[in-house]
Amino acid sequence: MTARRRDDRLRVAAVSYLNARPLYEGLDREPASRRICLDCASPSEVARGVAEDEVDVALMPVAAAASLGELRMVRGCAVGARGAVRSVMIVGERPIDSLDELAVDLSSRTSIVLARLVLRARSGGREPRLFGSTPLEGIASVAGGRGALIIGDPALEIEGRFAHCLDLGLAWLELTGLPFVFAAWCGRDGALTVEDERLLQNARVEGLERRDAIANAHAARTGLPAESLRSYLRDAVRYDLGDEERRGLQRFYDDSASAGLLPRADVRFFDDRPAKVVQGASLDSLLARASAGERLNAAEGERLVAEASLFDLGLAADAVRRRKHPHDVVTYIVDRNVNYTNVCTTSCRFCAFYRPLGHPEAWVLSREQLAQKLGEVVDAGGVQILLQGGLHPELRIEWYEDLFRWIKHEFRLGLHALSPEEILHIGRLEGLGVRAVLERLHAAGLDSVPGGGAEILVDRVRRKIAKAKCTSDEWLGVMRVAHHMGLRSSATMMYGTVDTPRDRIGHIMKIRDLQDETRGFTAFFCWDFQHERGTRIEPGDGGTVLYLRQQAVARILLDNVDHVGASWVTQGPEVGQVALRFGADDFGSVMFEENVVSSAGTTFCMNAEAMERRIRAAGFKAARRNVRYDWLTPPA
Amino acid sequence: MTLDAIQDKLRARERLSFDDGLALFRHPDVVAVGQLANEARERMHGDRTYFNRNMRIEVTNVCVASCLFCSFAKLEEDAPGAHTMRLEEAWRELEVRMDDPPAEIHIVNGLHPGLPFSYYEELLAGFKRIKPDIHMKCFTAVEIHFFATHYGMTYGKVLERLRRAGLDSLPGGGAEIFHPEVRTRIAHDKATADEYLEVHRVAHAMGMRTNSTMLYGHIETFEHRVDHLMRLRGLQDETGGMQAFIPLAFHPDGNGMKNLPAPTAVDALRTVAVSRLLLDNVPHVKAYWVSMTPEVAQIALRFGADDLDGTIVHETIYRAAGSRSPSGLTVDHLVRLIQEAGRTPIERDTFYNVIREYPRAALPEGAVKVRDRKASKHLEVLS
Repeated sequence: MTARRRDDRLRVAAVSYLNARPLYEGLDREPASRRICLDCASPSEVARGVAEDEVDVALMPVAAAASLGELRMVRGCAVGARGAVRSVMIVGERPIDSLDELAVDLSSRTSIVLARLVLRARSGGREPRLFGSTPLEGIASVAGGRGALIIGDPALEIEGRFAHCLDLGLAWLELTGLPFVFAAWCGRDGALTVEDERLLQNARVEGLERRDAIANAHAARTGLPAESLRSYLRDAVRYDLGDEERRGLQRFYDDSASAGLLPRADVRFFDDRPAKVVQGASLDSLLARASAGERLNAAEGERLVAEASLFDLGLAADAVRRRKHPHDVVTYIVDRNVNYTNVCTTSCRFCAFYRPLGHPEAWVLSREQLAQKLGEVVDAGGVQILLQGGLHPELRIEWYEDLFRWIKHEFRLGLHALSPEEILHIGRLEGLGVRAVLERLHAAGLDSVPGGGAEILVDRVRRKIAKAKCTSDEWLGVMRVAHHMGLRSSATMMYGTVDTPRDRIGHIMKIRDLQDETRGFTAFFCWDFQHERGTRIEPGDGGTVLYLRQQAVARILLDNVDHVGASWVTQGPEVGQVALRFGADDFGSVMFEENVVSSAGTTFCMNAEAMERRIRAAGFKAARRNVRYDWLTPPA
Repeated sequence: MTLDAIQDKLRARERLSFDDGLALFRHPDVVAVGQLANEARERMHGDRTYFNRNMRIEVTNVCVASCLFCSFAKLEEDAPGAHTMRLEEAWRELEVRMDDPPAEIHIVNGLHPGLPFSYYEELLAGFKRIKPDIHMKCFTAVEIHFFATHYGMTYGKVLERLRRAGLDSLPGGGAEIFHPEVRTRIAHDKATADEYLEVHRVAHAMGMRTNSTMLYGHIETFEHRVDHLMRLRGLQDETGGMQAFIPLAFHPDGNGMKNLPAPTAVDALRTVAVSRLLLDNVPHVKAYWVSMTPEVAQIALRFGADDLDGTIVHETIYRAAGSRSPSGLTVDHLVRLIQEAGRTPIERDTFYNVIREYPRAALPEGAVKVRDRKASKHLEVLS
């Protein structure tokens, strides 16, 4: 998203799909462009812009709007359908209701949720197994019991090609008697003036008149038949958002929330008068819903952060923890954090550990040094090592492969190694893609990927504290690939630099969204920035109470992540223990050594006995675990 | 006794019983117990959270008592590590800090058999000469009892002479655990529970204020803790002279109970909370950061405590027992700890008169920025 408020213009973002174009056609030209700065992007990027306050209003998919929560919509403008829409189809060689598997394009959550609601309703709750794929892969894989959910241009291209197809716009109408809304102009309350709204509404009127021209242009670009596209924009897609569409959308939100597919949401227009606005839920009901395991949206998360007391959050997080882990067991792992080098090229402002290549204090661990450390892990009954370094500009992928094979052969320890940043770094060094790097490392012994380097997955924050580091999307992209390969990973958050409460919620939501897709995150850990000499960032929000609040909110929002760990290494064993009563079910790792945090001045040590004692003193049973959180010892 | 029943009692302003106290100590959910204590604390003090500028001085670690939990005392004057300050040495601690002086000096010592009583009188008088308005909070009840027996005076006489020399109030140390089943094992050769309480009673009758403590987390049971708190509540009903109660966590390094684990943070928070709930007649409960670590003390400000104690400057007793806490904190640090907990920091004098009120963090505890950190601006300068 490049739109930024360089001037007083309204920052507008829109999905760049054909069917949306009539709504914003002309906004990038005079005279509208004097008032509006328009940016077209993918649906996820558009949603990100709103979430991170980079745009004021966005034409965004309705599922993303529900996830964010508390957004207002511009009355009268939407991309929707009343009956057949033609561009959102389930296709198969067998009757659609009898499919066993469904390939889905993961970029469109609204359509996936719609497909699941429709399929469940039509076949009494039965649903095919979903797996993600690109549109072309999806189409190619259709055979027997396997169908595909196809969206956009590809859906128009394959019309009539498959024996069975289900148009989801039509299916929704048949199911509910209501129109469906795919996308609408959304923004935070107060983001638009009445004139701004009128601008968007006028653009729609002009755009609708230019539908044929838009279709013809698209036909020329794509080679699709012009007549088919013209009728698509004229007859299939509907651009209204009135009372009936609102009912249809509200029905979609309600059904999705009941099915646990989206957070609860209310459709609200910018021009709803206060009397007509549904009053926001009380804090108590929000907490009760959270305790009951219901999914909350980002706005509700922000509300908890801003309004709930430490106890409200602690008790709700504890309730969520108990629901997920009813046996009152807190796990810990015997492993060792080994940093293979302190050489790093990123020079993050918050890091006191790294040294540039050639610096007198720069080092790479020798095999002898490693052998001693790993031998100690084995002797202590350890099951894995957490191996991370800096981004060393001269270590090639073969070095890692040899190292991994050697560790596996000599020590048989689990390898929880190389954060996404390092994977990307190796890829750049070798000219390899993420998948290729991960496949080679996996073959050499990599077992799982640590979630370090996530910091705050909001690029505005990342640019300020870690300019040279990967973007949020890159970080998440590595995790996506790793998860699809069957590797598990953890997720982390380091807050307390230049991040705001909203950034932290946004971070958690990005992890939740990816987890919906992959189910690959085993656990979430957070901690605050450890400020000390050697770092070049002033501390922001901090303190122990904030840590407990932050962890509790994460436990409440991350309904799809199994485990939350207390970061005693950064908070100290005392606070780490208290955090077990604020939603954590894991106490992290026994500490042999840890270099990064300790070079910022935080040093704590704790052996297995002390960990178990603290776990029990907090009212839990203790069990050792492996990286997949299987119990290795009976809880006691 | 369920938590709900206790909650009903608290809301009806009914006094909690021994069994209630026991139930609170045994309740599995420390957060729920803390919430009750927080209600009581906010009813008494709202968000107001106190600290002061004080300085700890231990003038001698020579001690005739042989308490099992102590890593500080040396039995003989010439034992390794034994040290007794010359008076000038002690006064110098204040003299060198006169450009930013503490408001209170807190002196606690070993029970030294070889010093004349005049040493203590001169000690007090000397500090008052340097800074006439300094508050001298000195000598635990155990020391007062020792002075009385050692120098052949009544408690009243000891206190009177010390007061004339400059003593303003008594600290709460030396209470340990009152119950004889514990006290005879960990502190058999110093003031008994009754003697400790009697010293406080006499001081209160003279119009002096005192604090009280409990050393928990060693060999005592929850029954012993509740018993301890009930005895303090009884005395307070009688005299009303106690200002603050300070739970002190046992630290095991280098003392006669070094094989015991230290109590954990969850126990520390629970003890603060139950103390707040049982001691309904004591105005203040301190989260003594030296004992709990500043981090846990911050949480305790939401579990019933309304006071962080003070700057301390250089604490030695807990450090001798292996505490990780720093030996002193700055005023800025204390203010920040309190603000991050979403409370209003109040610098107080020893009698809880307000010296300065600092701005409270906006809604709610630590959820919003408490400092104007000008993050973006600052970074622009850096980059």
